Amino acid sequence: MDRREVLKLGTVAFAASVAGLASSHAQEADVLRIGIAAARPRHSDPNLTTQGSDNWATEQMYEQLVRPDDGRFAVKPEDNIPTLATSWTQSDDALTWRFKLREGVQFHKGYGEMTSEDVVFSYERAIKNGTNTTVMSNIADVQPDGRHGVVIRLKSPDALFLGSIAFSNNTSIVSKKAALEMGERFATDAVGTGPYELAKFDPNGAVILKRHEGYWGQKAKIGNVECLYIADTTARTLAVLAGKIDMMEAVRAPGWVDSILQRDRTLKMDMTAPGSFNTLHVNLTRQPFGNLKVRQALMHAINRPAVAQALAPMGGVLANLQPPGFPAGFKAEELPPELRYAHDPRRARQLLAEAGFPNGISFSANSSRREDYASTMLIVQEQLRAAGFNMDLKIGDHTAYHADNRSDKNTLAMHSSSYPPIPTQLYQQQLAKASLVKADGNGGGNYSHYGVAMPGIDDLLDKALNSSSFKDYEAICRQIELQVLRDLPLIGLSTLSFTVARRGNIDLGYEVKGGYARWRFHRATKRI
Amino acid sequence: MGQFLIRRLFDAVPTVLLVLTLVFVAMRILPGDPALAALGDNALPEQLAAFREQFGLNKPLWRQYVDFLAGVLTFDLGRSLLHNQPVVSLLAHALPFTVELTIVATFIGVAIGVPLGVLAATHRNRLPDSGVRLFSLVGYAVPDFYLGALLLIVFSLNLGLFPISGGGVGFWDRMYHIMLPAITLAFLKAAFIGKLTRTSLLEVFGKDYVRTARAKGAREGRVIYRHALRNALLPLTTGLGISLLATLSGSVAVELVFNRPGVGTLLIGAISERDYAVIQGGIIVFALLVVFVNLLIDLLYIAVDPRLRVQA
Repeated sequence: MDRREVLKLGTVAFAASVAGLASSHAQEADVLRIGIAAARPRHSDPNLTTQGSDNWATEQMYEQLVRPDDGRFAVKPEDNIPTLATSWTQSDDALTWRFKLREGVQFHKGYGEMTSEDVVFSYERAIKNGTNTTVMSNIADVQPDGRHGVVIRLKSPDALFLGSIAFSNNTSIVSKKAALEMGERFATDAVGTGPYELAKFDPNGAVILKRHEGYWGQKAKIGNVECLYIADTTARTLAVLAGKIDMMEAVRAPGWVDSILQRDRTLKMDMTAPGSFNTLHVNLTRQPFGNLKVRQALMHAINRPAVAQALAPMGGVLANLQPPGFPAGFKAEELPPELRYAHDPRRARQLLAEAGFPNGISFSANSSRREDYASTMLIVQEQLRAAGFNMDLKIGDHTAYHADNRSDKNTLAMHSSSYPPIPTQLYQQQLAKASLVKADGNGGGNYSHYGVAMPGIDDLLDKALNSSSFKDYEAICRQIELQVLRDLPLIGLSTLSFTVARRGNIDLGYEVKGGYARWRFHRATKRI
Repeated sequence: MGQFLIRRLFDAVPTVLLVLTLVFVAMRILPGDPALAALGDNALPEQLAAFREQFGLNKPLWRQYVDFLAGVLTFDLGRSLLHNQPVVSLLAHALPFTVELTIVATFIGVAIGVPLGVLAATHRNRLPDSGVRLFSLVGYAVPDFYLGALLLIVFSLNLGLFPISGGGVGFWDRMYHIMLPAITLAFLKAAFIGKLTRTSLLEVFGKDYVRTARAKGAREGRVIYRHALRNALLPLTTGLGISLLATLSGSVAVELVFNRPGVGTLLIGAISERDYAVIQGGIIVFALLVVFVNLLIDLLYIAVDPRLRVQA
């Protein structure tokens, strides 16, 4: 064999290995692959997850006492459906909640039947060590009521307990035996009751799940789910276009949906409504924004429907802070005329003149470089310019941006966050006096100084948090919304759907309409 | 030789110490709060405070620096602030991918660049020479992340010949995954080495010993490869060292484009998340790699040039 023959043989062997490996990567009917927009997973313990993307896996592995139907939020308490609890009752004062647990629910990996002991343990660890201890701090105690019953007592009434606490990541029910046995290892080796169980947690970029054969409900139709972490948007997009993955977390930037659909018309887009709430904090301590007329001018200058349109089809219009369809969410036409703030640059200029600024005002503001922030703020900048506001926008690193906001270094601070249909959560985080921002970075998310620089909504918020009926709660929240529209410390800019691009051969088994930025795959089927 | 090696390693200590200090200071100057990055922008002040306490971020800076240096000396680079894992294990997983990418890219770059350089030098001012010079120009001009994306679209997306992302499992799968990223990096390397080989060879072609070899009737192949190319290797070795270091830094962008695991991907993620421990660990690894490559080049010099062998 001479050198030429060796070379030829090598070439053929290489080509054959490439072809073989390429075919081995082809689609498999029993595996659903989703491309996650992060570099690597952090945890699979629902009590610890702080990276939103990790919830794609936890959503498949864990369940709570109640949950809304797939692809929905429970907008009203009656929208919650029995899950690990089969029924429940609340006391008239909304302080005591009794749950009857489903019998025969099996934990993953042979950890036995779920009992009240596991539920009590799960709640107690969430109260003590969870990522949302503030919300959980309203729980006075959790007691077993026999082997298949639990009683939860609250410190303050909570008419929305099912949505605020019972259906949350932290209150996912874990196996007490597994958690105690595994200790720290539980953070990456989960044991829940969901339709999928953890097969492999690869800290370098994947969470692999397999069907939970002992699942109490209808078993998952696709046997395996692979959550593959692909942070780079180009790599993720190419992977879904090439069929290497079945779904991908979308890029939430103007034009992205159109551009990917141009490449492949068969792709489907699953979108939650509302998704993120994009709000704009007006720093009341930075002059002249302490002047109400200036803030009113700002509202008239910003064309909110245009902002939402620019983000289409992911963008949604906000007339106030809560989206239409959520408790205390208004449509523009439902608001008093003076609180609608239609886009009117001329009126904005007039208000500025009345406030003592006939030649307009100049100020600087910061924005994050992240696509959704930068694109929204650039649109706002252009709209403000037409009304006499000259905003010098400094766009920088996302992490630094949030740190600066937390240190009270911004004048107009955009904030994007997802909320369930529980309006008080937004008020507590972004408007309450207790969440006031501090220059040393140790404050909260009230960047406008509302409630301190001027009277705020704290009394109403207390009332809402102590109301024992959903009807009263909603009525008070509507009052809060109207007051915020009058005072204008915080502007609802738009909503932005969480979006997943899905290949046409995948059928989720339901339509995604709302909910958090994660949904279940147990009803999904795949055509090859 | 042993003494030479020990001396060079000692020489590297101040460099590494300086890098460690610079990285530590740069991380603390960089705006952004690691606690906020880890817990999210809705995190409560008490949660942030607890996080800072847990990871020692609330200690005085000098104390953090001393702890950091002590950790490095005992090979304890700490735990990732976000992934609850020792930094050493994250690096141990990532490093082989970066090293193998660098080696394969260098191999391809040399395998293409040297013959191209020889071709250009032996056909000076003719069509092959112009072709190689054009190739070098394009190689220098095209950014690696752009070329990577192009190759990805053509060979992975449209032709389906190569994987879109990942690093592969097992030797052959890893080689399959490495091809496009390595070719991307090798393109610039081949352009650089080709140009360098051409220049070095042209200089050597004018030397007496080459003329003598030709006058003695040696075959042209023997003159080029035995007499000229061997003597042109010295500047080529320097160039190869520079090119190796450039490949290491270039691997950061290429790993991102191809979504490959590696120290580059690890570092970029850690920087955006302000994961101090991982950033410091990653930079230390890069600094040590630079020291190692420089040492390797010194040793190669000795192997190539008998005069240096005597001095060493």
